[in-house]
Amino acid sequence: RFSSGRRRHRQPAAEGCPPGDGGLMTCQQVSVLYFARSAELAGLRCETLSVPRQTTSLQLWEEIVRAHPRLAAIRDQVVLAVRQEYVLLGDHLLVLQPGDEVAIIPPISGG
Amino acid sequence: MGESEDVPKDFIKLKSEKLSVDEVSELVISPYCGAVSLFVGTTRNNFEGKKVIHLEYEAYNSMAETEIKKICRDIRQKWLSVKHIAVHHRLGVVPVTEASVIIAVSSPHRAESLEAVTYCINTLKASVPIWKKEIYEDEYSWKENKECFWANSGK
Repeated sequence: RFSSGRRRHRQPAAEGCPPGDGGLMTCQQVSVLYFARSAELAGLRCETLSVPRQTTSLQLWEEIVRAHPRLAAIRDQVVLAVRQEYVLLGDHLLVLQPGDEVAIIPPISGG
Repeated sequence: MGESEDVPKDFIKLKSEKLSVDEVSELVISPYCGAVSLFVGTTRNNFEGKKVIHLEYEAYNSMAETEIKKICRDIRQKWLSVKHIAVHHRLGVVPVTEASVIIAVSSPHRAESLEAVTYCINTLKASVPIWKKEIYEDEYSWKENKECFWANSGK
């Protein structure tokens, strides 16, 4: 079934989740934060995105790139921070709760 | 009251105002400590032949504070006698020669605080979500610490 729960090309916004899908493809509204170069490429600093409740970190990144294709340019240089813990892009399985913070983390340069 | 206890404290601040070495070092002073060690990171005026006009810093504020707290916890596990730790990092525009970060650590004897300050700045550069943009005359550049394991140096 591809008619619900897999609308990967719809507008990123607080639109609400696809109806009645349930299970793993249930979506959650998460806050996505953009920093440094990623904020320049995405054109914004934060937004709410509807993403699958269970997803790998790579799949989550790909959802975000679908919303902001220019981010693809930094794919090899970013990690994510999910609930303020660093996560590499890959097979790491994430279980997201409504309102979770997901941050795009380009290479850091503090100090 | 509790004055004689002098409970170890961490003083962590991200701020846009000018940093003060006096202020940060006074935070960690303790009657039990004979040493206060400091690191001050300042803005250089050049990079690879280009003139740096100023730096701009931004941070994932809440996570940066959390990561700095983790560094403080690690310091206390490695150097048991460390008393107080202060880390002040500036955000926003930092003009050339002004301080972008000040770290101060106190301990009874100097070896521990000297080592802890070194560990603190090295680990901050590897793990704290703060970003620096170098502004040149005609362009700018997002810097990448070599300590950052997800940076692609040489790309």
